Amino acid sequence: MIWELVAEQAAVHGSGMSAGDACAAAVAGVQVTGAWLSAGSTGDGGHLMRATDGVSQRLAELQLTLGEGPSLDAFASGGPALASDLADREPGLRWPAFAPAACEAGAAAVFAFPLAIGAIRAGTLGLYRDRPGPLAGRQLGDALLFADTATLLLLNAQANGSSVADSDRQPADFPGHRAEIDQATGMLTEQLGVSITDAFARLRAYAYANDLRLTDVAGDIVARRLRLNPGPGPSPDSTRELRG
Amino acid sequence: MDGQLLSETFVELTDTMVADFDVIDFLHLLTDRSARLLDVSAVGLLLADARGELRVVAASSEAARLLELLQLEGDQGPCLDCFRFGQPVTSADFSADERWPQFAVAARRAGFAAVQALPMRLRDQVIGALNLFREAPGGFDPEDVRVGQALADVATIGLLHERSIRRSDALNEQLQSALNSRVVIEQAKGKLAERLGLDMSEAFIVLRDHSRSHNRRLSDVARAFVEGTETIPAPRPGADRF
Repeated sequence: MIWELVAEQAAVHGSGMSAGDACAAAVAGVQVTGAWLSAGSTGDGGHLMRATDGVSQRLAELQLTLGEGPSLDAFASGGPALASDLADREPGLRWPAFAPAACEAGAAAVFAFPLAIGAIRAGTLGLYRDRPGPLAGRQLGDALLFADTATLLLLNAQANGSSVADSDRQPADFPGHRAEIDQATGMLTEQLGVSITDAFARLRAYAYANDLRLTDVAGDIVARRLRLNPGPGPSPDSTRELRG
Repeated sequence: MDGQLLSETFVELTDTMVADFDVIDFLHLLTDRSARLLDVSAVGLLLADARGELRVVAASSEAARLLELLQLEGDQGPCLDCFRFGQPVTSADFSADERWPQFAVAARRAGFAAVQALPMRLRDQVIGALNLFREAPGGFDPEDVRVGQALADVATIGLLHERSIRRSDALNEQLQSALNSRVVIEQAKGKLAERLGLDMSEAFIVLRDHSRSHNRRLSDVARAFVEGTETIPAPRPGADRF
């Protein structure tokens, strides 16, 4: 359902789906006033890729300027940073400069989500409302699903040159929910001598190039029936070893 | 039952207001102690993800057979029923139980014959479920079930402590962050298993021992190791760790 909403957004501009489309679709999908998405794998807030309105853009800029705020916390903790009422005492203590400035800018509630799969970090998704109030249980779940979708699209875009980069198809199994995929990704950092983000790109590229399910490839790697070789691309011939 | 360990455990499970409190370490304490105190073969814990799924967060052993079974419980089985209805669910013998055919096959393959699922619940809020497994068929000792539920209750109250109850934002932040930390731990297990030539469950023990001996949170150590800023040495040869 989420994936279709994002695809609808992409249809508006007519090119492939992007993380920005997931950000835009989240506004109606989660019933918030606006949304913004920052990309980057370091803790400085990354660069703003999309903001659906002026307030969203201001909220992203404020955090960069002030060096504090929900997006930075979400990035650091790997979990959401939720402030149902920015005028409340708790957000004021947590973000003494950001909370009043965000209220001034027109936000009453801010919800930030990491675009992350374990230690793989691609950016953050921010949502705001012009009225205070928590996300309902269902809305929190949907916000997390939009963040998952944005994460995959962002990682796709970063894996430039590989075959997954232009794939708009919905993944059958989301990493992070299947332990073998996460374990296999960790194993590949050693086998290939690359970062966890690149290891995940190589894992997906291999599954895509060989038309295999991610879970199956991961299962083979964890069972040590399959190793991938260091090298630039996901060529099946050069990487398939120890099979069977 | 070890009375002294039991009272120590209750004290530790109520100690959630400390500054460096970590949900993952806390839930590992719950599963480890439940396995030691109760007459059971294994213990696993699933937490509710706001996305609407149950996800494995901690277990008394990281044996693949146990983790796979727990993962399956997110789709079908006593744990899911326990979570949905907020009530304990038990099966004294899978071979005579037709409620969860797929789960029963997987559980038998993993070597288990009986399960007891206990809700982690406070009033109308169910945040997950604790699963006790036995290798031998037959009912669970009623005292074990009572103590298991008491441990689950104390842990739940600890997690939903006063500050969190007032602010549902804080609880959601904490639980979702713990679920992501669990993913980091899986990634770290994989990296360590490959580096040291271990299986996943051995890799977990090395990771856990390293974090304990350095008095650090398991999830922090796992993240630093995956990011390459932390070195974890191989256990000394001959050390009886596994």
